[in-house]
Amino acid sequence: MGKPSARVDESQCLSCGGCVSVCPQEAIVLRNLKAVVNKEKCTACEICIKTCPIGAIHLERM
Amino acid sequence: MLDYDVVVVGCGPAGSVTARYAAESGAKVLMIDRRPEIGVPVLCGEGVSQRIDSWNMLEGTQWIANKMDGAKIFSPDGTMVTLSKEMAGNETGYVLYRDLFDKELARQAGKAGAEIMLRTEATKLLMDNDEIKGIQARQFNETFDIETDIIVAADGVESKIASWAGMKTVLKPSDLETCAQYTITDVDYKSDYCEFYVGRKYAPGGYIWIFPKEKGTYNVGIGLLASLSSQGEPLKRLDKFIASHPQLKKGCPMRLLAGAVPVAKPIQSYRDNLLLVGDAARHADPITGGGITTSLQGGKIAGEIIGEAVDAQVFDADMLSQYEKQWKQDFGQKLLRNYVVKELMLDMDDKTLNLLADSVKDYKFEEFSTLSLVKALVSKHPTLLMKLTPLLQLSKKMNE
Repeated sequence: MGKPSARVDESQCLSCGGCVSVCPQEAIVLRNLKAVVNKEKCTACEICIKTCPIGAIHLERM
Repeated sequence: MLDYDVVVVGCGPAGSVTARYAAESGAKVLMIDRRPEIGVPVLCGEGVSQRIDSWNMLEGTQWIANKMDGAKIFSPDGTMVTLSKEMAGNETGYVLYRDLFDKELARQAGKAGAEIMLRTEATKLLMDNDEIKGIQARQFNETFDIETDIIVAADGVESKIASWAGMKTVLKPSDLETCAQYTITDVDYKSDYCEFYVGRKYAPGGYIWIFPKEKGTYNVGIGLLASLSSQGEPLKRLDKFIASHPQLKKGCPMRLLAGAVPVAKPIQSYRDNLLLVGDAARHADPITGGGITTSLQGGKIAGEIIGEAVDAQVFDADMLSQYEKQWKQDFGQKLLRNYVVKELMLDMDDKTLNLLADSVKDYKFEEFSTLSLVKALVSKHPTLLMKLTPLLQLSKKMNE
């Protein structure tokens, strides 16, 4: 198993940008109005997962 | 190569107002927005103070969905505090069609001479050593460089521009409200009051709102402090609230949106060749989450200072610091004070909120504002002021 990281379900994302603004690693950007996580930078701190108002972010193993 | 005096990144209210006043001051302005349509998607509760009328920034009325009769605030045990238009000199607030509101502000910028490029995303700053020379952008499959003297970061709560310029912009979860909202039609309920439901029972560190739009249509939303939230909790709590509301649960949901509102202390809003406006500058009220009035006020100041900078052909931090000096004078103290009140309120449990609500439920408020509410609470509970004053002084010192 690889290191865990956050993954955004793009079909669920409503592009509010909340996860982007709180990520301490600045590992998330909005691309084409969907949040995308840079898995290399992600430390799996789960702050974005707690922040997403609709639960569109989950932890997964690479 | 494209060459402008100013490039404004983001065509929300702060960006459009900045662009308008910069263009009116004679600057050559380009506005870019990554979205294909200005104002869409809406990321907002759509309530705003009627103070905007006196600023004459918008024409027409197509962007107004409704005028509020006032506000009703409900504590966890149902105690109601009312701020009505009769008490508040008839000045309350509007519920907006934010998509049309944003378009009207952008149109005013365009009329003033600003150019607008849609579906255009900023991809990086063009730097020469430490100096900002322009910005790189992408529209569809084309990537191009834009030379400019000033960049305005109006790119929202998720602003990347300031971070690219080396400024610290990451928000603490305790400084962000995470929000969800439905627009519900065909609701058999008649009230032109905004309703707010406060307390941990409803929304830890935030509140639930019901804003009346056109007849039978309501925005029903929730904001939770991200530090007190869990995966998907805002939407779950909102669904539960609606399911337990006798009228709302029978309505038709037409729109679901998410939102993220900074409830932080404002950050440094300038450096050489760069200004931050709106949510990117954290210009939102830490108590209410409202950011439109401060975005318009700040945008106007930014646009006018840009005009002066272009006239003088001076774009350094010293010149642009006048922007920060002015917005701090206009609304900086209010944001700081409300940040301190927000922190104080976080310590209050539902029982305390019930007691506070009960103590001001018959109070005659003279103004439709959080300040009049805070003043009323302090007049009934002088110990609150004793807690507030030292916090405020400390906070002022840290901000200097």
